[in-house]
Amino acid sequence: MLRLDPETGKQKWYTTDGAKSVLSAIISILIGMAVGMIIIVIVGLTKDNISAKGIWEGVRLVFLGVFSTGRESGALTFGFNPVNMGNMLFRATPLIMTGLSVAVAFKTGLFNIGAAGQYLMGTMGTLTVGLTLGNTDCPVLIAWIAAFLTGVILGGFWGAIPGIFKAYLNINEVITCIMTNWIAANLVTWWFDAHDIFKNSAEGGKVGYIIPLKNVGVVTPKMGTDVLFPGSQANGGIWIACIIAVAMLILLNKTTFGYELKACGSNRHAAKYAGINDKKNIILSMVISGALAAGGASLYYLSGNTEFFWSTYMSLPSEGFNGIPVALLAANNPVAVIFTGIFMSMLNVAGMQLKYLTAYNEYIADIIIAVIVYLSAFSMFIKQLLNGREKKKGGNK
Amino acid sequence: MTSEYVIEMNHIRKEFPGIVANDDITLQLKKGEIHALLGENGAGKSTLMSVLFGLYQPEAGTIKKDGVEVKINNPNDATALGIGMVHQHFKLIEVFTVLDNIILGAETTKMGFLQKKEARRKVIELSEKYGLKVDVDAKVEDITVGMQQRVEILKMLYRDNDILIFDEPTAVLTPQEIDELMEIMRGFAKEGKSILFITHKLNEIMAVSDRVTVLRKGKYIGTVNTKDTNKQELSNMMVGRPVQLEINKDDADPADVVLNVEGLTVPSKIHKNDAVKDVSFNVRKGEIVCIAGIDGNGQTELIHGLTGLEKATAGKIEICGQDVSRASIRKRSQAGMSHIPEDRHKHGLVLGFTLEQNLVLQKYMEPQFQNHGFIKFDEVRKYADKLIEDYDVRSGQGPVTVARSMSGGNQQKAIIARELDRDEPLIVAVQPTRGLDVGAIEHIHKQLIEERDKGKAILLVSLELDEVLGLSDRILVLYEGEIVGELDPKKTNPQELGLYMSGALRKGKEAEQC
Amino acid sequence: MVFLIQQTLLFAVPLMIVALAGVCAERSGVINLALEGIMIFGAFIGVLFIRTMQEMNLFDKEQGQILMILALFVAAICGSIFSLLLAFSAINLKADQTIGGTALNMLAPAIVLFLIVMIAQQNTIGMVKGGAASWFMLRPSSFGLPKDYSWGFLIDILINKVYLSTYICIIVFVIVSVILYKTKFGLRLRSCGENPQAADSLGINVFKMRYAGVMLSGFLAGMGGFNYALTTAGCTSNGDVAGYGFLALAVMIFGNWTPINIAAGGLIFGLFKCIASTYATLDINGDGIYMLSEIGISPYVYRMLPYVITLVVLAFTSKSSRVPKAEGIPYDKGQR
Repeated sequence: MLRLDPETGKQKWYTTDGAKSVLSAIISILIGMAVGMIIIVIVGLTKDNISAKGIWEGVRLVFLGVFSTGRESGALTFGFNPVNMGNMLFRATPLIMTGLSVAVAFKTGLFNIGAAGQYLMGTMGTLTVGLTLGNTDCPVLIAWIAAFLTGVILGGFWGAIPGIFKAYLNINEVITCIMTNWIAANLVTWWFDAHDIFKNSAEGGKVGYIIPLKNVGVVTPKMGTDVLFPGSQANGGIWIACIIAVAMLILLNKTTFGYELKACGSNRHAAKYAGINDKKNIILSMVISGALAAGGASLYYLSGNTEFFWSTYMSLPSEGFNGIPVALLAANNPVAVIFTGIFMSMLNVAGMQLKYLTAYNEYIADIIIAVIVYLSAFSMFIKQLLNGREKKKGGNK
Repeated sequence: MTSEYVIEMNHIRKEFPGIVANDDITLQLKKGEIHALLGENGAGKSTLMSVLFGLYQPEAGTIKKDGVEVKINNPNDATALGIGMVHQHFKLIEVFTVLDNIILGAETTKMGFLQKKEARRKVIELSEKYGLKVDVDAKVEDITVGMQQRVEILKMLYRDNDILIFDEPTAVLTPQEIDELMEIMRGFAKEGKSILFITHKLNEIMAVSDRVTVLRKGKYIGTVNTKDTNKQELSNMMVGRPVQLEINKDDADPADVVLNVEGLTVPSKIHKNDAVKDVSFNVRKGEIVCIAGIDGNGQTELIHGLTGLEKATAGKIEICGQDVSRASIRKRSQAGMSHIPEDRHKHGLVLGFTLEQNLVLQKYMEPQFQNHGFIKFDEVRKYADKLIEDYDVRSGQGPVTVARSMSGGNQQKAIIARELDRDEPLIVAVQPTRGLDVGAIEHIHKQLIEERDKGKAILLVSLELDEVLGLSDRILVLYEGEIVGELDPKKTNPQELGLYMSGALRKGKEAEQC
Repeated sequence: MVFLIQQTLLFAVPLMIVALAGVCAERSGVINLALEGIMIFGAFIGVLFIRTMQEMNLFDKEQGQILMILALFVAAICGSIFSLLLAFSAINLKADQTIGGTALNMLAPAIVLFLIVMIAQQNTIGMVKGGAASWFMLRPSSFGLPKDYSWGFLIDILINKVYLSTYICIIVFVIVSVILYKTKFGLRLRSCGENPQAADSLGINVFKMRYAGVMLSGFLAGMGGFNYALTTAGCTSNGDVAGYGFLALAVMIFGNWTPINIAAGGLIFGLFKCIASTYATLDINGDGIYMLSEIGISPYVYRMLPYVITLVVLAFTSKSSRVPKAEGIPYDKGQR
């Protein structure tokens, strides 16, 4: 299915292929941004209310959105903007986690398109336990851990379903993931629909939202992010995500467990032949994957001030799908996921800047991300071009 | 202008990235002859035929039909010239009916809608005329391999082809079916159709062909009249040096039983019946026991049931006295079994892994290579270097070569190195020489005999009669999932073996004859 | 009762036609995970077309049906063009089809929402004047009859207060099914999804057939998308079709890749959808009692059921299911 790079430890080989992965990722990003730019220009030219200056502003914001400091006497200003930077890291947290989720599954040869559903299950578990314990005398730390773990466990369980279908019935995980996504969307809506105590009716005008966890005080500590990025939403969640990413790297590359997972992913039959329990590994991989995706949701909502729109039966959270480009751009390397996650988040921040400062809107960021996913699908092809040996066609002409 | 030859392929050259598959090859086919194309695996036979059939375009060379130069850009052009081909791996759509398969690509239509009535009549006529019995309304997945081959032949006849290419057509057939096929081929030739017959089996060439063209490593070696040559000369031409057709070995000295199998029954994945039915046998120290039979008679399932890749529904398996009938794959292999698998790409190697990672595939969890779940990369490297040295595994970058990029022969060497180095008392080797060239085959045969002489018990599965007769100390013939005969290779001959393999003879009847 | 049948049909028809779109692609050997995206795109294009025509005053209410039919086909053609992106990456570049499809599913709402916001300064666009019902719905007045005219029970079900597009989709469904199973084109298309090497050896151009399969798929999905926007969303587009494309995938699997089973599956799933969205006001036997809402089962259970059923069906039929053998595998002429 996908290129699953073998970890060899030998430096020479590793750097060359790694370099190629980075290069092909950069090419994907550049093309993606170029497409975004072209759209900005074309739309700008066809719309009467956007001047040439407006187009130029749009183009600059796509690239430099995070450094935007607003407008001064009509012109865009740029510089270090701690709020944007902090928010970028804050939004990167769930993306890194869903990116890790997709990457770990990829290593085992599975395409976890079910991260969205697992993310929702994590949301449900964390909010429910956080709000319930937060209203009791339970110490905050215990409540935090319980909320986090409940989310992670629910996500792991949700990931196990496609895993079991794949392992025992050999049913394509993509299909089961899509089904479990929509089941989760309805399940979560059903749960919150039936439990009015979680709904935020106290604050006026907040129809359809769940009470944010800050109202009950179960919140991730800032861990220094308030010093670095004052005024932003950043919190310790980003550090937790980074630690988890490093742990995943060690797990995959240094342990026998990682060896088994990758063997199953690369060739399930050979793994089985060698006495590796392929079914167990496939399910475990999906459990870890689901737990990671759900962990992203947990960290996101444990930030405290994020509010969950519970009537979600018609739509799935975009974080689930955006984990795919994060993992693909990172060539499934867990540590690289940190950077690609932050990059994706940067695009989102740039999108918001576009919305607030120009006549354009935030969806341009989604377009760029989608184009990058599209290009990642044939990253193999780009790499071949990089190698300069385009495969000769065997057939006609 | 008429030419002596219906088809001439002159100085054909075809390259693939990294290799020259055909290098200046010339092939001339006379009208009404059966022309054999002989060569080892990888000699370029299939590539040459694919060029003739329009699947590949040659880099150089010309093709002439009846003395006129033609360009064959795709199979449609080939069909228009009357060229048809039965591919080694049948090109059939399994969920379609026989009739749909035959008309596919040459459909009769009215306003775009299929008109099958006329087609059905023609197919039935042809099938009766040539004695190619098929059930036109059956789905291909439900019919036997022999009938599938008849469907392939009917596909050519339906298109009114008169130049017929048969690519390794006998590999899947019983000796009786092979005889039938040869009869049909002779019939075609008599009618004036010309036949190209691709094979690496000398007996069949001697039996049916008029002339032979030999290829070796992509090069043209020569064309000879079959009646002016013999098997030894042909095999020398094919390999490029005198080949020992016989395998030299001392008599076996079997001792204690290492593997004991009783009443093993394994279900089939393809049909509802059991693929292996109540099979019992044993293998002793210091002997090579060979499971012989036509492909698809339960060999794969027997080995899978034995090694644990598939669940057996009944039966008892003991390795070195230890009952492993219900044990996991790993438990079985730790009980003393190495396994050289049938399909090296599917089971034998993780192609995306490096060579060193593949070499520890059976050993990575041993304390030698891991500490509390963390892999000791230094030890892995040291061990890989040793195996590469000892077993002469050649690859581009040594231990860090990605397995996918290695040649088939070296991939097989790596598997054999891994399995033999485990030094287990039982070695299960399934078609260990499949798809390899003669040099590699000889080497592997020698290794297996050495292991036997060291006192290993070896269970060999082979489809090649020569290998079965040359290598084994005892032959068990598998027919439709049952062991129908146990033969002594020194006292039997290919004819007798063939009768057992086709189910014509059985253990019980043998007793009557004695 | 009339209402229930009509509503079921309303939900079922887009599902059926989009599921058939999935079949066209997969039978040719390309997994089309992008059905959702193509529907979103088709819905947007259809609505935009109607909007533009209205702005240009080319049509008025009396010609509503013609406008609707035009929009349906414009949406279908644009869906077909959009699906070329999938065809290119899957067929020419041999890219992973699942990822390619996912990319399209992300791209379609992004582009559509971007454009909607640029055009309307809000997250949804609809018609410039009038409503979907007043312009496009069939009712006695469409046939020049009095408003409260009744043809009798049966005919009322079929033509009173329904959209013509529903029937066009049913006709297209039948035509495409016949093409797939009774014509030379269909036979060849299906052969490419089962054994492309065999098809190639018989002189069938696998690339062309797969392109045809994907484009036909895009055509149907685009049509289904607009039909959804017209009938269930009141001719509006907001970059979302509420997971219909994915539900259609479920229908396709449930229907084992064959048109008749898909039609049945579409009706069953449509019924669930219909119950879920109308259960509170649904009066099945007309006795004034809202039976379903009194049972007290949450509507989310009905919404969930199609997906759960699909999972269960998959679990039980996995051994015998007839997935096109070569689907998802790029065809490489070099490999044979």
